[in-house]
Amino acid sequence: MMALLLVTAAVLETALFPSLALFGFRPDLLLLVTAVVATRDGPMAGARVGSAAGLLGDLLVTSAPVGLGVLVVSVLGALVGWSRPYLAPSSVTAPLLLVAAASVAGTAAHGILGGLLVDDRPGAELVVQAAIAVGLYNTLLSPLAYTLVRRVSDAFPLRGAGFQ
Amino acid sequence: MFQRRRVRILLALLVAAAIALVTIDFRGGDEGILDRARGGVTAVFRPVQDGVVTLVRPFSNLGRSVSELLAIRAENERLRERVAELEERRRAVSDLERENAEFRTLLDIADRTELDVAAARVVALAPSNFEWTVTIDVGADEGIERGMPVIDGDGLVGRVIQVTPGASRVLLAIDPSFSAAARSAGDGEVGILDGRGGDPMVLRLLDPLADLAVGDQVVTSSYQGGVFPAGIPIGTVAAVGEGGSALAPEVQVNPFVDFTRLHHVLVVFSTGVDDIPPFEGSDDLEFERPPVSPRLDDDADDDVDDEGSDEETSDGEDAGGPDATGANALGAPRPRP
Repeated sequence: MMALLLVTAAVLETALFPSLALFGFRPDLLLLVTAVVATRDGPMAGARVGSAAGLLGDLLVTSAPVGLGVLVVSVLGALVGWSRPYLAPSSVTAPLLLVAAASVAGTAAHGILGGLLVDDRPGAELVVQAAIAVGLYNTLLSPLAYTLVRRVSDAFPLRGAGFQ
Repeated sequence: MFQRRRVRILLALLVAAAIALVTIDFRGGDEGILDRARGGVTAVFRPVQDGVVTLVRPFSNLGRSVSELLAIRAENERLRERVAELEERRRAVSDLERENAEFRTLLDIADRTELDVAAARVVALAPSNFEWTVTIDVGADEGIERGMPVIDGDGLVGRVIQVTPGASRVLLAIDPSFSAAARSAGDGEVGILDGRGGDPMVLRLLDPLADLAVGDQVVTSSYQGGVFPAGIPIGTVAAVGEGGSALAPEVQVNPFVDFTRLHHVLVVFSTGVDDIPPFEGSDDLEFERPPVSPRLDDDADDDVDDEGSDEETSDGEDAGGPDATGANALGAPRPRP
């Protein structure tokens, strides 16, 4: 079921959100789902979902070298999962800020590493703009993402969920 | 602790796998296995993507239309303000162009007629509905005098009837109390032109048998010592009334000048036509008194005998000067201006 959620996120990211771009940038739904899963289920789930999301993104969404998304998103999923114990359990804004930070960091890392691997590297200004825009957009969509992920996780619990 | 270690091992494996994928992708190039995998995934997802795009396109178009509508409204507002600004500027330019054309016309007529003129601006219209006068911004300080003709680029405007140091009042040619000698520009038929207020001016011809046609142009005449320089355009014949053997036809004349749009005029420093000097006294007229009088009656012979020799008759003052009866030595009446 989580795979279906990722596929849906990838399709929406490529088919729907190009026409809903914010300042010319679209949200990174795969990164968003990974961050939400990691925030809810821990680093193991974050790393596993992140690797799948990264691979899907590499094959479907981006033209960057395959494996770059796997590297960035799986590491981010694990890092977000590891930071989960440090969040106040009753805080509403903390998960949102965590998603925002993960989105900014993931987009920036993708841009920087992509720039190192390919000749047509994006400028630093573009990387900063994209990171801020994606962070903002993902933060706006994170309440909806939390709701969907919670329902999917409750119905189909992930193996390894809850690992600290 | 064991679980945390499992996560680290998994992460390490994922990082290693990612680096391996990147390496394989780079080494494989455009025909590598990962590139083919990317093509396959794209081919699988393409129908789904197309379906989603088709599904959401109306909504995305709606959103785009709303944003475009807002942008168009803002653009429309900006363009309206721009149009208003340009319209105001165009009106100012049009007014300047009209004024420029008026000045050019005035300069042209001043150059063409070689009249000594003073330019003036119309500053006020007549306060009454029963008189057609305007006030101009030149007066006695500029040398303006009563009776001076006033013209503009189209023709005769009127004449000065009141002068103050800094302004003058001009009786327009359409005022019922206005009268001027005029003639047909075509055949020279002369008459007296009267104003009729809002109606066309009326030209009363002196010759009952004069034949004027609609469209003939009427100009000022110096006939009988008229106060205006000859040849100033007045208007065109609009209608010719019934005449007869003794009754001169009444000719209606539409003025050239638009008296409702007088802005700038010229005051002509001339009030009439100078007396024509006697022919004998003219410097450029070759006149040689005949040795004998053309009169053949006896009295004339006696006069010749009385005056004596040819040398005596060559004295212009005696021979050519007007006598008490107004006739010259040729017996012809002296021409009057």
